[in-house]
Amino acid sequence: MAIIERPSDTLALPPGAGVARAPLGVFSRPRAKTGWRSWVATVDHKKIGIMYGASSLFFLVIGGIEALAIRAQLAAPGQKLLSAGLYNQVFTMHGVTMIFLVVMPMGAAFMNYLMPLQIGARDVAFPRLNALSFWTFIFGGIFLNTSWFLGGGADGGWFAYAPNTGVIFSPSHGMDFYAIGLQITGIASLVGGVNLVVTVLNMRAPGMTMMKLPVFTWMSLVTQVLLVFAVPVISVALFLLTFDRLFGANFFNVQQGADPLLWEHLFWIFGHPEVYILILPAFGIVSEIIPVFSRKPIFGYPFMVFSGIAIGFMGWGVWAHHMFASGLGPISVAAFSVSTMFIAVPTGVKILNWMATLWGGKITFTTPLLFSIGLVAMFTIGGLSGVTHAVAPADTQQTDTYYIVAHFHYVIFGGALFGFLGGFYFWWPKVFGYFLNDKLGKVHFWLTMVGFNLAFGPMHILGLQGMNRRIQTYRDGYGFNFWNLVATVGAFIIALSVLVFFVNIVRSKRAADLLPPPGPDPWDGRSLEWSVPSPTPEHNFDDDPLVVHFDDWWHRKYQADETGRVVKVHEPEEIAMIGDGSRAHLPAPSYWPIVMATAFPLIGYGLIFNLAISFVGAVVLVGSMVGWALEPSDDEDQPPHGHHDEGGDGDDGDHVAVSLEGNEVTVGG
Amino acid sequence: MNLRNSGRGKALLLVPLVLALGACATDAPLDTLDPKGPEADAIQNLVVPVFAIAAVVFVLVEFGVLFLAIKFRQRKGDDDSLPVQHHGNFKLEIGWTILPALVLAGVGAASVFTLFDLADTPADAQDVTVIGQQWWWEYRYDVDGDGEDDIITANDLVIPVGQPIALTIESRDVIHSFWIPALNGKRDAVPGRAQPLTIEADEPGVYRGQCSEFCGLSHAYMRMRVVALEPADYQTWQENQLTDAQVPEEELAKQGLEQFRTSCSACHLVSGPGGNADLYKGAAQVSGAAPNLTHLASRGVFAGSIFDLWLDTNFNEEVDTEEIGKIFNVADMKKWLRNAPAEKPMYPQGERGMPNLQLDDAQIDALIAYLKTLE
Amino acid sequence: MQAPVAADHGHTSSTGISNTKLAMWVYLGSDCLLFGSLISTYLLLRHRSVGGPTAEELFDIPFTSVSTFVLLMSSLTMVLAVSALMRHDVRLNRIWLGTTAMLGAVFIGGQVYEFTTFYREGLGYTTNIFGSAFYTLTAFHGVHVTVGIVMLMSLLGMSFRGNLGPERSETVETIGLYWHFVDIVWIIIFTVVYLIP
Repeated sequence: MAIIERPSDTLALPPGAGVARAPLGVFSRPRAKTGWRSWVATVDHKKIGIMYGASSLFFLVIGGIEALAIRAQLAAPGQKLLSAGLYNQVFTMHGVTMIFLVVMPMGAAFMNYLMPLQIGARDVAFPRLNALSFWTFIFGGIFLNTSWFLGGGADGGWFAYAPNTGVIFSPSHGMDFYAIGLQITGIASLVGGVNLVVTVLNMRAPGMTMMKLPVFTWMSLVTQVLLVFAVPVISVALFLLTFDRLFGANFFNVQQGADPLLWEHLFWIFGHPEVYILILPAFGIVSEIIPVFSRKPIFGYPFMVFSGIAIGFMGWGVWAHHMFASGLGPISVAAFSVSTMFIAVPTGVKILNWMATLWGGKITFTTPLLFSIGLVAMFTIGGLSGVTHAVAPADTQQTDTYYIVAHFHYVIFGGALFGFLGGFYFWWPKVFGYFLNDKLGKVHFWLTMVGFNLAFGPMHILGLQGMNRRIQTYRDGYGFNFWNLVATVGAFIIALSVLVFFVNIVRSKRAADLLPPPGPDPWDGRSLEWSVPSPTPEHNFDDDPLVVHFDDWWHRKYQADETGRVVKVHEPEEIAMIGDGSRAHLPAPSYWPIVMATAFPLIGYGLIFNLAISFVGAVVLVGSMVGWALEPSDDEDQPPHGHHDEGGDGDDGDHVAVSLEGNEVTVGG
Repeated sequence: MNLRNSGRGKALLLVPLVLALGACATDAPLDTLDPKGPEADAIQNLVVPVFAIAAVVFVLVEFGVLFLAIKFRQRKGDDDSLPVQHHGNFKLEIGWTILPALVLAGVGAASVFTLFDLADTPADAQDVTVIGQQWWWEYRYDVDGDGEDDIITANDLVIPVGQPIALTIESRDVIHSFWIPALNGKRDAVPGRAQPLTIEADEPGVYRGQCSEFCGLSHAYMRMRVVALEPADYQTWQENQLTDAQVPEEELAKQGLEQFRTSCSACHLVSGPGGNADLYKGAAQVSGAAPNLTHLASRGVFAGSIFDLWLDTNFNEEVDTEEIGKIFNVADMKKWLRNAPAEKPMYPQGERGMPNLQLDDAQIDALIAYLKTLE
Repeated sequence: MQAPVAADHGHTSSTGISNTKLAMWVYLGSDCLLFGSLISTYLLLRHRSVGGPTAEELFDIPFTSVSTFVLLMSSLTMVLAVSALMRHDVRLNRIWLGTTAMLGAVFIGGQVYEFTTFYREGLGYTTNIFGSAFYTLTAFHGVHVTVGIVMLMSLLGMSFRGNLGPERSETVETIGLYWHFVDIVWIIIFTVVYLIP
């Protein structure tokens, strides 16, 4: 849905750009600015961000259908809508899809699109690697979902506890798809993580010190650092599982002396940081939205930053709270119980700072703000239930019940997804050049709010009444009937709300031509992305912005008058960069990322079905590496614009020309 | 419109509602807030104050957000001037970092004390080994303490009241989790590990439970019960369990014994002259075990506790101990013997669960006649 | 993996470190956790085998010590390669790059020899849990070394095509970082797997 063309006149192309050179005789250099070619070959962080967003919404529909199937099956006791085997596949794939293919890429969408804009850069540090991340992710997601047609989806739960995932206990190919598919999306996350970490650290505009970074960028940085360190751990776990299943290794073979807790530890050492990987970008988004609509700066900026960093650090020391019933022994349990409680402290600091930002503001209730307040309210519930199961003895009554299901949906849906939905409404005009309808947006919000609480609120009760997770059905007479029915109704209301969102997108797009364009800064924004036209021109900034303040764009609009009162001194249209790309030097598009990304699913299918396919995949991988290496990242046939060729040897660095010459760059901290 | 923010009112009521419901739900046999033994009591005493603190924080934050949203909304007729630009307040930040940390430190200390209390096994505890496998539970009692298990039973864990029971929880295949909410929290049954858990029941009765770690196809159907008996009744039960099965006298039951020896010896064992110990060589299952049926008829449930073995004469859907031995649940047993995988999701082709034995009606009737005698 | 051809133009970056080099550092940080997890797995599993053969029966410490020494020496030659290029000595740079790659190849040869010997002595990948853990850990390291050799050979190729002048010394340095990291990991693996009983 989001594949919408931006006007192509933003970059002044020399007329008749000439015949494209084919560096290897395989591909001509992609030149298209519009049409599908411009998307498959793009290295533009904005197009890549849009594609991340579109794919996450696509997978949201798939994961949502799976959720509805689960809720339909559980609407009443003893139903046989889904067989036990199918139910296990559906709830496993629901979890995998929502975590790895919806929430993570949705976060990546915002990070890709916004982070370079917020730090004043023209693109990310490695634009082609960025494209590789996206294509690898999308092929990994498709690979995972093709398992439905090739013998059935994974059936061991997203947590995939060994030895239930061994060949004996899970004989279909589902778990192979799980292990290899997540390995592929892991590659995508790792490459993306390295890229974005380098981008934030290295590509900041002059004057943009670390402590002037917008909170969203800070939270993205923490998220990406977590990814970089968490992904290898799950990679190892998945390798071990793959080797066990495909090559008969003994890592989880209890008969050969294996200890199943090895998987649990590896999985949750990844899995708990993963929780913060899901939520921190949304925290960042809300920290951008609330100040704008309260017309106040974020309260306690350094505390917002450090609490985010603290969550990132402490997130590594709490993983075993997922294992309080596993028999770790009282000493470990006590240590992890206490550490888990204290991670609530920085989270609480964030919530209180958002409230303090609202305090004394002049709040306008737009859809983005409603979703942000929704996040604060709903995440608090998830946080509090989280504290109740940090209490380890209580957790032995709660874990693996619906109480936990309620908890993590309040955190991931009520937290992450609410934040992202708010972000969609907030940045939609920036990305596409038209507003999403605010009335429909409010309908969307209230439907989501009501459906969400109806679906997941009762699960607290069900859990405390002892309803286990991951059960295909339950028996009459356990007191589960009523609240399960309510939850199912809630789930369908959520589905309706998603439908309203899609209708809003389509209708707003249609209505866009009749309405005035949003201009560069429709919300009276604070960070640099609002200083450029909407939609963002391909080159982002005409010149590198020079940053003086935190919330620099706001400070350009508002200044103290002679009486000391802060008043608006400039309209955004007067001072926005109007979009003259002639001084920009952009990295050239390339087909190699998408070609290389096809190698991974090929290798995966080959490992499962026939090694010959893997061989083809390996050839594609090696071939595309060679092609990639030999292809200059700049298009030599494209005469470079502007001032940046003074030191030029044959340009083949994977870099973006951000001209920093002559400007003092401050390294912040 | 802002007032309607209290659409969250529903959720707002949730925590007290949860507490209220938990306290009074009599129709919820797995209720986690209805303790019936000292271990579960210890958890309850910890959980209630924690819920109370959570409820206070919940009310403060939710009403706080609501209040701020209403109080500081942009009103019609407000001028366009900026509100006061607060950037932060160091003291406030430190305050709301330290205060929650102190509260949590208190909660943490209480948890740790309870945790170590629960980890202590009382010296006078009676040992029982609990073994999980797909998709039922086995219990083994070493009555005389010679290191050999004298009683092997399934589904119903029979214990005396007022006596701490030290369970050793094991697994024969994948990870399961043993959980009787009324008696204690859960403990995973991890293959290759022996995990301790203490339970104790204050009153005689039947306490339900369900495997709560996902264990494959029939996870939803892997249930169990603890049957707590007065010490004297327990003594009687134990003596009976130590006896062997005798050759039945009734003709149909005799046929049933022969049928049992032919059809069931690949997996099930009945010890004694009226059984198949001479034919049984361990179960042809991945786990290597199938329920020992020597005293099947002394149990209240069968097939991983999904069916009642004896019908409830009071029709309250909960088989009491007095009803055992009265009206045999022939209908469900027939269905089970005709085609077990149709009643409970299993994977017999991979030696995980009971196959369809292709028995005809006469064979099934004979088998039931025999099984009834296994008291 | 793109590192061999990625060079920065001496642009001032916010941190003063070039993008490629910073990316390599971040990647190596990530790789620490990869090997950390693999080594932990090995430590947890190595004594849990149900049947033999065991590490004590198989390991030939003198042999592995020699190949460890060879790999260590390759770090030295890598340093020499970087410093040669910095001193504008392209010829010497080629020699040291070639030597480094060759020493790496000798190490890999030693590993292949070791694997075949162990296999003949009865330790297959699936024989016992020690076998699975040992081969996985050391093979992951071997793959890292092999990738390093491929990168060194690409550098050498670039050098012969005249694309590896002194202005590219940072590229060589970045690959050098990777190479040293892989060596250090081997020291840890050698200690943990071979020396600690």
